[in-house]
Amino acid sequence: MKNYVIMRLLATVPLLLGISFLCFVFINLIPSDPAEVALRIRQTPVITEELIAQTRAELGLDQPFLVRYFQWLWDCLHFDLGVSYTNPARTVLGEIGRCLPATLELAGLSLVYVIVLSLPIGFLSAVYKDTWFDRIMRGFVFATTAMPVYWVGLLLIWLISIRLDLLPTSGYGSFAHLILPAFTVALSYISTYIRLIRNNMLENMREDYVLYAQARGLKQRAILVRHILKNSLQSCVTAIGMSIPQLIAGTIVVENVFAWPGVGRLCIASIFNRDYPVIQAYVLLVGVLFVFFNLAFDILQYAADPRLRERKA
Amino acid sequence: METSRLRKKRPLPALLLACCMAGSSLLPLWAGQAQAAEQEPDTLRFVNYRDVRDLNPHLYAGEMYAQEMIYETLVDIGPDGYKPCLAESWEISPDGKVYTFKIRKGVTFTDGTPCDAYAVKANFDAILENRARHTWLEMMHLLEKVDAPDAHTFRIFMSRPYYPMLTELGVTRPFAMISPKAMKNGSTKDGVNAFIGTGPYKLVKVVTDEYAVFEANENYWGEKPRIRRIVVKVIPDNQTRILALEKGEIDLIWGKNMLDADALNKYRNSDEFDIALSKPTSTRQIVLNGQNPVLADINVRKALQHATNRKAISRGVFHDTEPPADTLYARSVPYCDIDLAPYAYDMKKAADLLEKAGWKMGDDGVRAKDGLRMELGLLYNSNSVTEKTIAEYLQHEYGKLGIRVSLRGEEEQSYRDNMKNGLFDMIFNICWGMPYDPQSSMAAMRQRVYGDYAAQLALPDKKEIDAAITEILSSTDEKRRQELFTFALTHLHDDAIYIPLTYETNKALFSSRLKGVGFTQTQYEVPFSKMYFEKR
Repeated sequence: MKNYVIMRLLATVPLLLGISFLCFVFINLIPSDPAEVALRIRQTPVITEELIAQTRAELGLDQPFLVRYFQWLWDCLHFDLGVSYTNPARTVLGEIGRCLPATLELAGLSLVYVIVLSLPIGFLSAVYKDTWFDRIMRGFVFATTAMPVYWVGLLLIWLISIRLDLLPTSGYGSFAHLILPAFTVALSYISTYIRLIRNNMLENMREDYVLYAQARGLKQRAILVRHILKNSLQSCVTAIGMSIPQLIAGTIVVENVFAWPGVGRLCIASIFNRDYPVIQAYVLLVGVLFVFFNLAFDILQYAADPRLRERKA
Repeated sequence: METSRLRKKRPLPALLLACCMAGSSLLPLWAGQAQAAEQEPDTLRFVNYRDVRDLNPHLYAGEMYAQEMIYETLVDIGPDGYKPCLAESWEISPDGKVYTFKIRKGVTFTDGTPCDAYAVKANFDAILENRARHTWLEMMHLLEKVDAPDAHTFRIFMSRPYYPMLTELGVTRPFAMISPKAMKNGSTKDGVNAFIGTGPYKLVKVVTDEYAVFEANENYWGEKPRIRRIVVKVIPDNQTRILALEKGEIDLIWGKNMLDADALNKYRNSDEFDIALSKPTSTRQIVLNGQNPVLADINVRKALQHATNRKAISRGVFHDTEPPADTLYARSVPYCDIDLAPYAYDMKKAADLLEKAGWKMGDDGVRAKDGLRMELGLLYNSNSVTEKTIAEYLQHEYGKLGIRVSLRGEEEQSYRDNMKNGLFDMIFNICWGMPYDPQSSMAAMRQRVYGDYAAQLALPDKKEIDAAITEILSSTDEKRRQELFTFALTHLHDDAIYIPLTYETNKALFSSRLKGVGFTQTQYEVPFSKMYFEKR
């Protein structure tokens, strides 16, 4: 077990290096000169060649590509992610630190929604397969998977905030502000998990151990919850583990619609503004999250499932 | 095993739904709390699509409406010309080279520092330290020195006379005055310690990307604003902004790109909300690249002018919120009230022009001349909804003439790259607007910074136009200046290199309780000082 964890941790180092390098390459392939764009974003009325050259030097963009990459890497190892090109008064670390809590709140509540809603609905849809409840939920799953997040967000604002006058339309501050955006983020995940849980349950119901349990005279409820649900959840746990970084990285559109001051908005603005250090830091952050959660849930599963350990041995 | 065997009669999941509903009934409690904090009397809740950012008045990265609230300049640009502001009066020496300003007495910055001639001098020193950043203002090349002989006299010495001098001193930046105490060792080029000015409002709080709070400056020297507190929320999405207005979370949406015409049109006859439209602020246009072999033919450019139905665009795309444009600059722009014959919408005339110039219709409906087919690209900014709609309309219209137009939308920065580098046949553009039009935007035509340079490069009269613009800037004779403007604008009009579409306007949508919503000469200034809430 210990060896397994150490091996997996060591393997993340080259992975993160690879991610950061690839990201650096791709960012540099974006058309437009970041120095010139930075001047435009700072609304300099007439941008002359001299001004561009001066800004390139200020931002260190006059250095060759590899020098810039290794400089960035070196600074990174010293917890210095540089300053924003468009607003040099702000450090990238400060920007991420400012925006991350809001996104974590959003992703956190979304996760709660996903678990609290998809688990019972998926379970009941399997138990009451082909009843009106299952049909409605299947319709719901179908519809919400197809609807773009942007549109769902606006519809929810219109319905809940304007027509029913229950919640604020947008912004950040109280728990009330969080409810709608978190639900919007959660919606497509809820659909996915309802389907996943339902299908897993139905598959498990056909397994021999269920028949055996019935033969032993166990109560239906116990068979459903302790045996079928427990076995069905295994793959869901891994999937949810991988969904957490996805939830954190997938809030861009929702943050924009709901004026939520999170990293998604920071990221989209920095892409449009060619703010390389911020994009780079965002990609690295998301990369680290994916690697970390993947690792954590692998270890968790390894610890929880005796079959995996035996197979390894 | 059959799943149905597991299905017994159980209380259906209605229970779950009931729980959800019970939970949601608690929501208004939270929501109510959040709103109660926001609704105070005499507070105006304004909205912008982005944060106020760096409000250093000597650089360009901050939101101009906020800079206009906090800071003031020596002179103001009013509807009838220059008005005194921090300078009570001024004199220009007979040779046009020395400007002497009498600085208003008793004005202080909101930190208590007096705004006297020494403070003004400190500001100019800080601005001139970063001269290279401001060279887009022609005066920066001509300014020799500044001095403050006493606390109420400030002088600027120029190497040559320069007519738009007062206009340039009146634009929000870089010539707005910040408290010398807020500077970093007398310098502002690397940032400032605080945003402290003399204006009608002061900034009291900023939460980045969320909101900013301004309060009335109790010691303001001029007419004190009636609205004491302004909260500016940041809502990036166009639709959400309107929903927030509907819900009563904000009172005013104001600006050029904050509202699309369809949304505005919806509130035309509303009791709850009012609409206001400004006079033209700038011109929406298509720039034709004279270096393109097809567009090098002036008859083609003129045919395109005649084939453009500006009225239809104004009505169909903008619901009359932007009037059709006849010329590069509206007649209300200084020096632009000249008689130029607009290119009237006339498809027959357009076809005749092409026919006479030898562009013959091919079998596939595309005209050609000497093997050169009439195929042109129209580049638009894909972030702009209206440009795409106009582009599609024009593609259809020009198609009828035998001109095949292919549309290409590019994300804003690459669109600008293409424009600057002349990588376009036809491209959407918007001129700078007041108060930069016409002098600053025409001065910029002489350099490769915007699309104008590339578009005009192949014109036979380019040199003459540039020479006229250069002479305009240093001309001290009003009559001669008008002659030169008339010359340059007439040539550009006759060259048919710009297809004017509509005059862009500032638009406002606001709660009908809010009164006094209007516009000023400067397109970025939101005149909060004149606004007030109707008493209930």
